[in-house]
Amino acid sequence: MTQLERLLTALHHANVEFIIVGGVAARAHGSSRLTDDLDVAYSRLPANLARLVQALAPFAPYLRGAPPGLPFDWSVATLRAGLNFTLTTTTGAIDLLGEITGGGQYDALVPHTISVTAFGLNLQLLDLPWLIRVKRAAGRPKDLEVIAELEALQEEID
Amino acid sequence: MVQEARQLARLTQRELAERVGTSQPAIAKLEQGDANPTIDTLARCAEAAGLAVQLTLVPLPVADAVVARYKRDVDRTLLRENLRKSVHERLRSLGEWQADLHALQYAVARAQPKKVAEAQPGAEYKNREKP
Repeated sequence: MTQLERLLTALHHANVEFIIVGGVAARAHGSSRLTDDLDVAYSRLPANLARLVQALAPFAPYLRGAPPGLPFDWSVATLRAGLNFTLTTTTGAIDLLGEITGGGQYDALVPHTISVTAFGLNLQLLDLPWLIRVKRAAGRPKDLEVIAELEALQEEID
Repeated sequence: MVQEARQLARLTQRELAERVGTSQPAIAKLEQGDANPTIDTLARCAEAAGLAVQLTLVPLPVADAVVARYKRDVDRTLLRENLRKSVHERLRSLGEWQADLHALQYAVARAQPKKVAEAQPGAEYKNREKP
């Protein structure tokens, strides 16, 4: 089982409400680009925060890029106190996004998702038009090539 | 914009022209983009159709030119190949690529002894003290 599959399986089996966004979503839509982390938009409902903590706890989440040894409490309280978290785990990098520029929070994104099956899991994926939309809204120069590929992909599908 | 307003109000060009106090050919010219109307003219056409013109400031679409340039270089054969695969196959190949690349990074780091510890998968976690 790859790191990506392990992370997705853990989130799915814990019934975490999440939407795959970013590079993994792009790949699922047909992008040829590689990505090294899993970006997910997650529901901020208290019950979901608890499920998220439970799902990732076995993988010892830690703030990505932070010096070793800093106190980091992987808990509901920590999630409640923050919004977006870039984490490293023993099974790969994961970004937990409480809100996405140009897309809003989990509930606002749900209508713009599609259901897909991968690794035997039913997963929610941000749809291609909205993936392009949030990439454009982010306004980062590094995303321009990605946007070009996603728009080309949309043209191929149409 | 004039055509959109007229169609939303379900008016003919002649009916809109009468409401605005101008001629049908003048409306046709506006709709074809052959005129250079003032904001006031556009506002009067919109009002005649029961609408209002709202002006907003938006960032210049500088990125579009860059995206269009990048788009010319996109390898569409790869995209078409991916589109023939299932979502599962696309994600599985991503996971496999990631694993292969990590193995390659580790191999490169092993050739540089000082960086071996840093390159081991999960080393960032393993090397830190327990909180």
